[in-house]
Amino acid sequence: MDPLVLAALLVWGTVVGLDLVSVAQSMIARPVVAGAVAGLLLGDPAAGLRVGVLLELFALDVLPIGAARYPDYGPATVAAAAVAVGSPWELSLGLAGTVGLLVSVVGGWSLQQLRRRNAEAVQRRAAALAAGESAAIRRLQYGGIARDALRSALLTAAGLLAAWAADRLLVLDRRTAIALTLVLVGAGLAAALGGALRSAGRSRRRRWLAAGLVLGFALAVLR
Amino acid sequence: MNGSGRALLRLFAVQGVWNYERMLGVGLGYAAEPLLEDLKIADPVRHSEAVVRSAEFFNCNPNLAGLALGATVRAEYDAEPGAQVVRLRSALCSPLGALGDQLFWAGLLPALVGAALAAVVLGASGWAIVAFLVAYNLVRIWTAVWALRTGLAAGMGVGRAIGASWIPKAVPLVGHAAGLLVGFALPLVAMWYLRPFGLRGGVAVCLVVAAGVAAGRLFGARMTGSRFALVAVLVTLLFRLVTR
Repeated sequence: MDPLVLAALLVWGTVVGLDLVSVAQSMIARPVVAGAVAGLLLGDPAAGLRVGVLLELFALDVLPIGAARYPDYGPATVAAAAVAVGSPWELSLGLAGTVGLLVSVVGGWSLQQLRRRNAEAVQRRAAALAAGESAAIRRLQYGGIARDALRSALLTAAGLLAAWAADRLLVLDRRTAIALTLVLVGAGLAAALGGALRSAGRSRRRRWLAAGLVLGFALAVLR
Repeated sequence: MNGSGRALLRLFAVQGVWNYERMLGVGLGYAAEPLLEDLKIADPVRHSEAVVRSAEFFNCNPNLAGLALGATVRAEYDAEPGAQVVRLRSALCSPLGALGDQLFWAGLLPALVGAALAAVVLGASGWAIVAFLVAYNLVRIWTAVWALRTGLAAGMGVGRAIGASWIPKAVPLVGHAAGLLVGFALPLVAMWYLRPFGLRGGVAVCLVVAAGVAAGRLFGARMTGSRFALVAVLVTLLFRLVTR
């Protein structure tokens, strides 16, 4: 991979990692956005979009509420896009999605570690906080953001390393590659549907979900 | 009161030091700093106490944090007793968390993602993603401005202001939109992926979907979508290894 492209992917992965929780939450960390941009950087926007849409299905299953542990799909999608480029998507999507899911799980774990480090930093400055020192609040804030930037950069780097290893070391035959693609598409659809059903509960939203499914199915058949 | 512009900008990093001890507390203290500057001149002792309170434990949906920030800062300027300000802050955690999560995480976000996914697979590609980002960020920035202004205006009466606002009415509406748009997108996305694989591919994917939804129902929150996928990948690889 071109060193400039690699550097751009690292920067992009770091930015989307920060966007998930710490700064902005502008939703550039959503897989469909992260994947499309990563695909553009890699010179294969279609591959990035395919991977982004797949991982977005899994992200729809997640409610990023409070202290809940949830996967970090932004840097994971960047890594997955790096696996997907340059080969027919029918063959590469399964492996790319698997790498993306594994990196997203590591990302979820890294978020928990970050929160623990932040808590330790708060404890270290407890006296300054109790004394009402605004400078201590600022230092904690900037320290937390810097730690998350480091976490996101390391996660992206690890993801790109995993992408490189998967590309070089895992040689799947055609049938296995297609089977993985189908399994991940099915699992992604199940995740999104499960998430939608859970959010709907027993409320009227379930009827709207059913109406949407019927409309979408009709349009899919007619096209 | 000066500093509301800087406070608004800082609210976009309110989770910058999110932690298991004070959650959003320190981030809210960081956002409160510019708003409390005038108090430093008017009443330095009160300012120091207000800074301490501003960084104590707090948690809610980050998009509605401005309501709590504005209300508590107003209460500090109105010289409400410190214990009252602390109680107000605690009382706002649950409603702002529940309303914000329903409005944004379970409503607006899946609705716009569903619309973006449908548009992508229908051929809009990059424009759908740009439209998604613009639409989401317009709503959340407008909400952040409204929340801070409403909090600053209402002070201790922020609970009533929230109850009378557009938020409780919007929650069910965006929920219905989310159900409709996610439901609409899923068959289109399925067809986008499955077209090259024919009927056999479609049947195989339907079986995986059924197994995934059933596993989610059976095991509850423990069987997340990504866990099921990784188990399914492992089973597939083992099956291919054995049958090759």
